[in-house]
Amino acid sequence: MAFSRYLIILALVTGCILPSGVQALWPIPTTLETGMTTLKISPTFYFDVQIEGPPSDLRDAVAQSQHYLENDKLGRLVVGRGSNDTSALATARTLSKLTLSLASGVAAEPISSEAVKPLGTRSEEYALIIPADGSAATLTANSTLGLYRGLTTFNQLFYYYGGVTYTLLAPISIKDTPAYPFRGLGLDTSRNYYPVCDILRTLDAMSWVKINTFHWHITDSQSFPLEVAQYPELSINGAYSPQEVYTASDVQYIVQYAAARGIDVMMEIDTPGHTAIIAATYPEYVACSDASPWADFANEPPAGQLRFALPEVMNFTASLLTNVAKALPSHYFSTGGDELNTNCYANDYLTEQQLNRTGMTLNGALDTFTQTTHGALIAQGKTPVVWEEMVLDWNITLSNETIVMIWISSADAAAVAGRGFRIIHAPSNYFYLDCGAGEWLGDDPTGNSWCDPFKTWSKAYTFDPLANLTEAQYELVLGGEQILWSEQSGPQNVDPIVWPRAAASAEIFWSGKQPTGAALNVTEALPRLHDVRYRMVQRGIKAIPLQPQWCALRPDACDIYA
Amino acid sequence: MDDPNFRKPSTDHTGPVTAGHMQSSLAHSNYSRTGLTTLKISPAFYFDVEIEGAPSDLRDAVAQSQYYLENDKLGRLVVGRGANDTTAFATAMTLSKLTLSLASRAAVEPISSEAVKPLGTRSEEYALNIPADGSAATLTANSTLGLYRGLTTFNQLFYYYGGPFRGLGLDTSRHYYPVSDIQRTLDAMSWVKINTFHWHITDSQSFPLEVAQYPELAINGAYSPQEVYTASDVQYIVKYAAARGIDVMMEIDTPGHTAIMAAAYPEYVACFEASPWAFFSGEPPAGQLRFALPEVTNFTASLLTNIAKTLPSHYFSTGGDEINKNCYADDYPTQQQLKRTGMTLNGALDTFTQTTHGALIVQGKTPVVWEEMALDWNITLSNETIVMVWISSADAAAVVEKGFRIIQAPSDYFYLDSGAGEWLGDNPTGSSGPFRTWSEAYTFDPLANLTEAQYELVLGGEQILWSEQSGPQNVDPIVWPRAASSAEIFWSGKQPTGAALNVTEALPRLHDVRYRMVQRGINAIPLQPQWCAFRPDACDMYAWFGT
Repeated sequence: MAFSRYLIILALVTGCILPSGVQALWPIPTTLETGMTTLKISPTFYFDVQIEGPPSDLRDAVAQSQHYLENDKLGRLVVGRGSNDTSALATARTLSKLTLSLASGVAAEPISSEAVKPLGTRSEEYALIIPADGSAATLTANSTLGLYRGLTTFNQLFYYYGGVTYTLLAPISIKDTPAYPFRGLGLDTSRNYYPVCDILRTLDAMSWVKINTFHWHITDSQSFPLEVAQYPELSINGAYSPQEVYTASDVQYIVQYAAARGIDVMMEIDTPGHTAIIAATYPEYVACSDASPWADFANEPPAGQLRFALPEVMNFTASLLTNVAKALPSHYFSTGGDELNTNCYANDYLTEQQLNRTGMTLNGALDTFTQTTHGALIAQGKTPVVWEEMVLDWNITLSNETIVMIWISSADAAAVAGRGFRIIHAPSNYFYLDCGAGEWLGDDPTGNSWCDPFKTWSKAYTFDPLANLTEAQYELVLGGEQILWSEQSGPQNVDPIVWPRAAASAEIFWSGKQPTGAALNVTEALPRLHDVRYRMVQRGIKAIPLQPQWCALRPDACDIYA
Repeated sequence: MDDPNFRKPSTDHTGPVTAGHMQSSLAHSNYSRTGLTTLKISPAFYFDVEIEGAPSDLRDAVAQSQYYLENDKLGRLVVGRGANDTTAFATAMTLSKLTLSLASRAAVEPISSEAVKPLGTRSEEYALNIPADGSAATLTANSTLGLYRGLTTFNQLFYYYGGPFRGLGLDTSRHYYPVSDIQRTLDAMSWVKINTFHWHITDSQSFPLEVAQYPELAINGAYSPQEVYTASDVQYIVKYAAARGIDVMMEIDTPGHTAIMAAAYPEYVACFEASPWAFFSGEPPAGQLRFALPEVTNFTASLLTNIAKTLPSHYFSTGGDEINKNCYADDYPTQQQLKRTGMTLNGALDTFTQTTHGALIVQGKTPVVWEEMALDWNITLSNETIVMVWISSADAAAVVEKGFRIIQAPSDYFYLDSGAGEWLGDNPTGSSGPFRTWSEAYTFDPLANLTEAQYELVLGGEQILWSEQSGPQNVDPIVWPRAASSAEIFWSGKQPTGAALNVTEALPRLHDVRYRMVQRGINAIPLQPQWCAFRPDACDMYAWFGT
């Protein structure tokens, strides 16, 4: 290792460009030492799982890792795509196996169980050692989830040329642990529906960059695609069509599929706003339903919000959330709470009557509603998650355990942390994947998207999770996510609009900084992100190219001041 | 008034339906007259081709039309997706056949031949009649190409104005697109009656075109041996396009946008990979043909000739955009040549252009150039030259003022790549200008700032995808359904009522096009939440709707 460090120093001193060595890894590990020896995968390579009674999802993960090792066939992103490596390959040593083991005394639980433990109690760290001499590589961890993360790293290390799978970086020594416990991707499946297979494919890609939470914004004002056993009419009347519904078994399948890939599913039923379509079933529960002009009552059509002041609506909502949440293994459930429009209630007879009768203000009624619905979730062992307005715009008593998601602006994080709440960063000015696609409302050809411009991967990558926070507040930052709102998205463009951009936050919140301790840097990151993107394409994800391929094969040649 | 639109829930196709919206045809017809009677397609429906010696590509087009009719299975974009139409189906008359015929004395030529005739000499018009009583529908035209356009309308359901040039541009140099992706794109183009594929096949980053006389260009200049359009690929694409009524106008951009030629001919390229690239080029890598050198002029003329002569199109673009003079300021071979001949750089470019264009004209080709050739340089261009406007829609008037025919491809309306953010490295706060939505593109006025006498110089226009940040992964969603905007502008020009095109009127029909494209396997993006697609106008910016 000392040898390679010496080389790096020499390279820096002499000003030469480093061999594009660690392009492969994303997110970059906490500690990483690499050499300059070529090592190829033996045709008889196998994974040696030295774990008694390995859970079936770990065995599946190993089989998947073997599949990627054999089928990625990713050529190195250099001119010639690896053709210059042939002479090194001719004499290279071969790697015959990777031994997987757990730390002594650790019980082997399924990945699926480890992945849904409370934040802060999951063990995702691992150590991966690949000697240069062809002796066995080892992957060790304190949990099967840690082993899963290590397998993901292992698969990113190898390239392919002329029938040989190899690395140029042996020996490799990695010790890796996430900087933040929450690393998410958000998807809105209400404005447009995504078939289950598209969600599964997205979960696969998420796992490749160690994203551990699928934030499923499953319903909204436009459609209610979730089958709820106790309230079947919600999807019968509220889904776009009978085919565009997530059945209870679809949800269970998705949750299991995610968990086996180290991903917790945090579902959101946004209330009391973003609920207009509930009126298709329960018209009496919804104020200002389809009111016109919609822009007076809602941020987008159709208008309609739950009459949260009415006890029967409160009880219905608490029961709905409970019934949905209790079927999910996650400890987290989001009740939304964003963009509540008070105009909707100003002339709503039922709401005004109730407020007059009880002498309550609208804020007081929202407080009662929130405490009731959150109380019901807490009774189920769930931690409520809300959007920032619940803390910043309303005077509501929230449990201290409540997690608050920042979305309107990154500048709002400090105010929420100042109130003592734990936060998830999802600021629209860095992390909204839908921004920049232009106005989607009709009759507005010169309009822009409200959160213009498009947030490039590099813009997202410059996000600082700790900006404007005091050191004492740092621990309140659980992590963050990029999110796709689906007004102009569907299964047709989910891959290109999400990937590889969503890998930017995955690295911010896993790595936090470079292995050297230096801050993350877009110039350092770009070649690695090209690598991630090309590997995703090899695995069937329609990730967009970030630059002309000419640039992808020539690190830094297309920098703006190159 | 409504469209006699064939929709198909389960096995029935229903005809005119009362919804108050014209959906489903883009480009819509100028002379369609529609009623309100439901008509369904008979299980025994067939196309009756009453043409002696019908060409094979017409027979293929009829088979394709039959296939779409049976397989589109597009539900109406209303709440219920057509569930409310079932009672009307029960009593509806059935349509048993569509008779195709050519006007008497019209020559029976293949669509592929008609599609590549010179602009202004192609016959794309057709007349389609579908009676309400179930008697035979008729499609008549003056050419097989007209019949093809009519079949497209029949499938969408829905006469003819039309600028003769309706294009879609694709850059296959910054990223390579496999042949199958180009074919799929050609299919989608044909559905909205786009008639030109502007193939910007090479650029500074890669040279993916196999040229028999200059094989090293692709061997050394393609991204990989797999990312090459072989001569047979090109022929296949050209034929596939022509059978769908599409002419392939290829562009070999010269003398700029040619850096990668240095991989094969380093002596022909000035400032190759010079640094900093931004001083020498619009984007990396720097490098431009040494157009002042006679050997480079001759090479280029020979290259263009060899490529163009294999193509049936009458049109070939030599590019000519973004020539960077800094590249030649310190280029010894160029400066030496200019000194020896006493020429200016402009004079050398004039000679180069006249030589390369002259070679193309000898092959029967009409040269096409980007606007700088007319506006930024003092060059003698043939009057026949077609000029593409790209920098700004405001530049059209100046080009037309010089008497040239134009193709409208202005970046401020028609660039499909705009808005995806900076792609250069190390510039996280950089921008790329706003995204051009379908509706912004749709408000483009082809005749803006022109005098009536100049109108005939507007051949048409195209939307174009530059591929710095695009490839086969996102070509469908970034192109469709947006590129249908210019297709309608340049086919329809105005509404059947004579009113100007209007985004509010168009949106429900464009939803229809998009949903039909998805049914046919194109990954076209949704334009709005599906809730809006089912409720025309409910999601307009200032909509009044509901209670």
